[in-house]
Amino acid sequence: MALKDIKNQISAKKRTNKVTRAMEAVSAAKMRKTQGSAIAGRPYARAALSVLARLSGSADLARHPLARERAVKKTALVLITSDKGLAGALNSGVIKEAARFVKGRDVNDVIVYAYGRKGEEYFRRRGYAIPEAFENKRDDVPLSVMQELSRKLSAGFLAGEFDEVVAAYSNFRSTFEQVPTLRKLLPLSLEGISRLVSDITPAKGKWSDDAPVASPASYMVEPSPEEVLAVLVPRLVAVSLYHMLLEAKASEHSARMVAMKSASDKSDEMAELLTRKYNKVRQAAITREVSEIVGGREALAS
Amino acid sequence: MKTFHLTIARVGENLFDGEANAVRLPGTEGVFTVLANHEPTVAELSQGEAYVEAADGQAYHFEVHAGGIAEISSNQATVIL
Repeated sequence: MALKDIKNQISAKKRTNKVTRAMEAVSAAKMRKTQGSAIAGRPYARAALSVLARLSGSADLARHPLARERAVKKTALVLITSDKGLAGALNSGVIKEAARFVKGRDVNDVIVYAYGRKGEEYFRRRGYAIPEAFENKRDDVPLSVMQELSRKLSAGFLAGEFDEVVAAYSNFRSTFEQVPTLRKLLPLSLEGISRLVSDITPAKGKWSDDAPVASPASYMVEPSPEEVLAVLVPRLVAVSLYHMLLEAKASEHSARMVAMKSASDKSDEMAELLTRKYNKVRQAAITREVSEIVGGREALAS
Repeated sequence: MKTFHLTIARVGENLFDGEANAVRLPGTEGVFTVLANHEPTVAELSQGEAYVEAADGQAYHFEVHAGGIAEISSNQATVIL
């Protein structure tokens, strides 16, 4: 290979490296911000859950329309992916999980609510009905979108358009570990909510050693358990959804950060290898020229 | 004065978390005040304002929209707006 070609390649690798380093830094900053809002949202979810847990003894939660189980014919799948790629195996993991879920079902029995373009594209190509697709461009989770989505899901469930709502998203464990997760959103169950809250409770730190508070034997409920549940249950649906979106966001940023980090490392390594090659080729050329000159002199001298 | 632990939270935001002397809340059945050792209660809130008197004497107030819920038990109160 000519010297100039190698030199061009080296500078190309260095340019790539600059870009990926910058993207890594940006994703790291965004990740910290998203993790911050995930933590800020925690007290609300915990509080809402504990109210529900304590009420479930006195009032019959299962009688609430959003919590009532019924035979499942149609399923709504909420698919939370990112809009942009360059995030390693993040989206493919979530899509694979969702694809496994819909495998045994008829195409007409599944309705997909896509949050994020990657998942939307996949399911649209395969002929699934997508009544609503949301953009996932912003770096945070807008409350308005979350409320709109949860309202639509609740309304559709109550109207009998579908009999269950399942969400596929990426659960944020740590910067290096994001787990594609499938979770039932509707009908609402106490067990499902407490699993969600245990997910958002970190293994150590301020909230980790929080034991559940013993619930008093009787509560004074104003105005009535039914009315309080009617307010609380739709909120819990919204909160669950909000947390899934936050988890997905945090996963996206950290997956992208890690992917960009390995891309930077790789381009560093390639630049180093190419530089070594460049030096070798250059040295070979010099040696050849020197031996040509020496050979020429010898020929002239004899 | 005896205090109790009060948490006031909104989706994605923690408004107050600490010891308080008293909190006044707009319930659907009328405005009520919670002091330490209040009877265990779950109450739906209506449009209005919540006044908090923190243990350090600071006063706070928050706007409350209809549909909030307050839960009071074992000397702690949780309000979700």
